[in-house]
Parts: sequence; structure tokens; C-alpha cells
Amino acid sequence: MNIVELDRLAKRYGRIDALRSVTLSLEAGEIFGLLGPNGAGKTTLIRMLTGSSRPTGGAVSVFGVDPIRDAARVRRDLGYMPQAPALYEDLSPRDNIRFFGRAHNPPNLEKRIDELLDFSKLRARERDPVYTFSGGMKQRVSLACALVHQPRLVLLDEPTAGVDPRLRAEFWNHFRELARAGATLLVSTHQMDEALYCDRLAILCDGELLACDTPKNLLQRGRTRIHVWRGSSNANESITETEEIYSQALPRVLQQYGLDASVTRIEVERDYLEQIVLKMIQSRRDA
Amino acid sequence: MHRMLAIARRVLRQIARDRRFLTLTLLAPLLVIYIIKAALDSFSVPFVNISSFVVPIGAFVVHFDTYILCAIVLVRERTAQTLARMFVNGYNRAAIIGGYVIAYTCLGTLQTFLVLTELWLLFHLSYPVATVLSLYLVIWLLAVISICLGIFVSNFARSEGQVLPFIPAVTVPGIFLSDVIFSVDKFPRWMQWLSHATPLYYANKIIQNLIRESGTLDGNWPRVALLLAYGLVVLVLATQTLRELD
Repeated sequence: MNIVELDRLAKRYGRIDALRSVTLSLEAGEIFGLLGPNGAGKTTLIRMLTGSSRPTGGAVSVFGVDPIRDAARVRRDLGYMPQAPALYEDLSPRDNIRFFGRAHNPPNLEKRIDELLDFSKLRARERDPVYTFSGGMKQRVSLACALVHQPRLVLLDEPTAGVDPRLRAEFWNHFRELARAGATLLVSTHQMDEALYCDRLAILCDGELLACDTPKNLLQRGRTRIHVWRGSSNANESITETEEIYSQALPRVLQQYGLDASVTRIEVERDYLEQIVLKMIQSRRDA
Repeated sequence: MHRMLAIARRVLRQIARDRRFLTLTLLAPLLVIYIIKAALDSFSVPFVNISSFVVPIGAFVVHFDTYILCAIVLVRERTAQTLARMFVNGYNRAAIIGGYVIAYTCLGTLQTFLVLTELWLLFHLSYPVATVLSLYLVIWLLAVISICLGIFVSNFARSEGQVLPFIPAVTVPGIFLSDVIFSVDKFPRWMQWLSHATPLYYANKIIQNLIRESGTLDGNWPRVALLLAYGLVVLVLATQTLRELD
């Protein structure tokens, strides 16, 4: 059974379509990324999974049930980290984690809080009020609050915004560990390098789902440019742009040179994920 | 129930940590009462009957303070998105409202005690102990109702700015329509009806009876029941109007 099922899900705020007929599913144990520009509908989609927003069309199911009708059932196994830190800033990280943990009343709560403080590298500041923290530190507290009850489904709305690169890598290692342990993670992000850590990606633009695939398959949708230099000339003799996937394009282009001694340099340029996503968004907007 | 207590504990911890807030919250009503005393002393012939005026005005100060605090604090939860996060974490509407009522009732209890003590000391009031305890209970009940009213009103505001118009809308009619300063009987019929919408009206009726007869709650149970019913209605309304979905 899929953990999350969206069937032609739609949400309209007045005259604005925040989501238009989005259909996708999340499997247990996968890290699913949501990519898209501001206003694409990522946060709206996440809020619908939490049962905080009622769809205006289509259907959503989490753990096989409706997240609004069976909110208590869904929220027992749901961890949610909103885009804003949403913390009690006059309280310490320990107090914040404890408060959100108490809603679920898990066994050994204090031990669990210790683990999370160690993981988020906040042990030294565990009793300081959150308002004295940097943006990145607040994000870490917020993440710890979302994970305190060891949820089966974790919804993370831009979890690494403002977090330094080293800790960001640690976050992603932890996400991978959670997924290996069976948790399902839905992560919205603007960071293209982070998107590559996901098992699958959905690209949203103006509320519409443009693509949903593995990062590898999405990368293959990009163009490949092959430059070949012959002799000592600095000017490249051939530039080939192809829509073909790179592993197939490369031998075909190189066949005409026979790779003789005159070929002194070969460069292969491939579209980055960012370029591919931007092109998709542009062509959708042009259409 | 454990969720309600978790919220109450968290709110109390926040109040205790914010020393400035706590000090101002407790001192502001005392200062207001001191100013009223100083103003009344400046008249050679007071324009109100002091003995029937000071306790209800103390009740009004407690009502005003607890009402405003709760209205603003819950809106702050909404704007900081912690309210939405509480819901997603499994805290339900009853737990949230109940938690807030418990926590702010602790503060209201302390406030009521301080205000009544100051009234006693400044105005040299001398009522039997049973009357004093009855007065304390009524003002305390009014404080709890004011907390519920504050939460109810905050449910209609999306920002702290939006809650501001609700503050005079509830408190100013309260003082005019509660029989504390003016006799409601002399007002037009519609204003007399409107007076029933203010909790101070019911509280004042009981307070006036207690003061006049130096009595206890024994002869006032129907009015106390009315005040309780008012509180219950506001509590239900506050719980039902707390928005979880957009």
C-alpha cells in the first residue's frame, strides 16, 4: 500500500489555483522531493497531507485514510516541519521538543530528546531560549520537534534553509537513515543539489505537476553538448547539441572522428538539474 | 487530558520565563486601582457610592486584563504558526482551549487575589470573611470567563492588529452596561438587552448583592448559575470557532 495517494488533487484560493489536478503517490521508505519555484504549490500540497487544508477537488489519502476525517489517526504517525520555524522562541530547544513530544506521549521522551539534541548539535545550547539562536539553529530545533515521536511519514518544508553545508549533509544522511528504517519522507526544497539525494522528484509549477520521476531519469531529459578539438588549434572543431541521452549520444558523435591521434581534447557538457527544471517551467509558462 | 496539561504547563513556563510580562501583568491592575483611589480622594463629595463601586471596578480591571492577554496571546500563536503546528502534532481544539484556560486561570487567580487585597488595604473595606471569600470566588469566575472570551474573540483575528478593535468593543460596553457606573434601567430597551451580553453585568449583580447584605453565595446561586452558564456558552463558542482548517 502506498503511504500517500493524491488523485487529481486541486486547491483553489478565491480565483487562484494553488494546485491543479495533481496525481502522485509515495511509497514506504522513499525520500520524495518536491521542486518548484515560489508559489508552485509545494506548501499547499504539504498542508493538505497534514489535514490542515481541505481540497477543493480530487482526493488525498495518507496511510490509506482521509487526513481530515481521520486526522487523529494520521497525525499519530506524521512528523511535520513547516517552512517557518514555528517554535516557542522564549523557550529552550529542550522545552520545545518536549512540548511537541508530549502530544504523542512516547515512552522514554527525555532519552529521545537527548538523542535529538545530540543529532542536531544543540546539546551545548539546550537550555538557552530559542530567540537567541541563528536561523539555521532554529531550523535544527524545528526538525528535532518534527522527529521526536519517530513518525512513519515525515513532511519537511524546506528543512535545510539557512543550514550550513556540513550540517546539511548530516541532515541528508539522517534522512537516508530514516528512510532505511522504513520512514517515508516528503521534502520540499529549492536546492537542486539536495534534490539529487531524493529517490524521486516531483516538479511543480503554478500548481501543476510537470514531471515526477527519479533524478537520474530527469537528468536524462537534459541536452548534451559535445565539443571535440583536433590538432593544436584552440578552436573546437565540432559542437554537437543533442536531445539524446548522453550515454547514447557520445559514441555516435565520436564515431565520425574515429578517435585518431588528431583528437586532442573532448568536452562533454550536460544540463544540470536546475537547467532542466527551469526549461520545463519556461516551456510550461510559454504554453 | 495529558495534552491539555502539556499545553497548560508550556504556557505557564512561558509566562514564568518572561519576567517583564509577568511583572507588568500583575502590577498594571494594581496601578490602575491606585490611580482610581487617588482620583476619588480628590473629590470632596465622590460622584459614586464608594462602597458599591470599588469592588465591581476591581472586578472590571481583572476582567479587562485577563481578556486582553488571552486575546493577544492566542493570535500570536496563529501568526507564529505554532497553532497550526500544535494541531498537526495531535493537539486538538479542546486540549488547546483547555490548556490555555488552565494556564491563564493560574495567572487570573493571582491577579484576583492581588487586586482584592489592594482594594481592602486602600479603601479600608470591612466585610465578613464569608463575604470576602464569596467576592473572591465571583471575581475569579469572572477572570476565567474573561479568558474564554479573549480566546473566543482571538479566533476572529488573523493578526495582532486585527484583534485590537475587539478590545474596546468588548470592554467599553462592559463598563457602561454592567450597572457599575450607570443604572442600566435608565437606558433604552435595546441597550438593556445588550447588557446581558457582558459578563460583568452578571458578576456585578452578584457583587452588589454580596456587598449590600454582607452576604454569601447562598442567596445568589441562581445568579452564579447564570454567570457559569454564560462562561460555558463562551467556552463552547471558543472551542467551536477555533479554526483548524483553511
